[in-house]
Amino acid sequence: MTSAQEPLASAVARPRRDLLLGLAIVAVAAVFVRALAFTPIEARQGPAQKILYVHATSAIVGLYLAFGLMAVASLLYLWLKDAKLDRVAESAAEVGLVYTTAVLVTGPLWGKTIWGAWWTWDARLTSTLFLWFIIVAYLLLRGAVEERDRRARYSAVLGILASLLVPFIHLSVYLFRTLHPMPIVLKPSAPSMPSEMRVTFFAGLLAFILLFAALLRARYRLATLRDLVHDHEQERA
Amino acid sequence: MTPDNGGFATAAYILIAIVYGGYVLSLTLRERRLRQRLARLDTPSRQPSHRPAGA
Repeated sequence: MTSAQEPLASAVARPRRDLLLGLAIVAVAAVFVRALAFTPIEARQGPAQKILYVHATSAIVGLYLAFGLMAVASLLYLWLKDAKLDRVAESAAEVGLVYTTAVLVTGPLWGKTIWGAWWTWDARLTSTLFLWFIIVAYLLLRGAVEERDRRARYSAVLGILASLLVPFIHLSVYLFRTLHPMPIVLKPSAPSMPSEMRVTFFAGLLAFILLFAALLRARYRLATLRDLVHDHEQERA
Repeated sequence: MTPDNGGFATAAYILIAIVYGGYVLSLTLRERRLRQRLARLDTPSRQPSHRPAGA
């Protein structure tokens, strides 16, 4: 039997159990336990400070890693016109959107306890929300354009433009007077955190990077499968 | 005095679990649906017979 005659369902290999995803879920759960039960409570902010371990780590992975990968894959797609790169960009955008959603739902919980307000229209919060909407638009655009090459080209351009917001979001706390705290990790000097909190923070960062890799792989597999189904349905039509 | 706002931290962790857990569930369901469509395409369609009529 030649590869062309092999059953279609075996064309995109599905791991019987997604070990990477399982490992990532265990790692994130372990960080939750460490953060909530074994990390000291910050004296001035109280237990709400522990939101940092899931909020800031999700922001770092979502904004820098996911949208950075989306931008690089989009740029490479425009150059090489390889459908795999388009699928990587699409997958990174969707997973990045999930991370940014996590950032936007946890931030207000911290804000309410510390600032006394769920939301404030300052530069950091507003630009992050704006990026969230652009990524939603990016995914809607992908759903709206039927022709594959045109869809990939349009979304690559939008993906690159969206990623230009990321440095602005990072610098917004320096450029504008904002309520949002200054970076405590992504800054030129050493992280300003006691060692026990620092360990929890970096463990959280590693766990969310692992989760990102697992989700990206699963989402890429889904995109490959979708294209395969679409191609074969068109062949049959 | 340390403020008593543990409920906010717990709520944040629950929300995070819902967001990521919901996404994992969505990926699983979407993949299952696509594999079902693919399996249907795998099923060979009825081939026309090449035997002469009456044979």
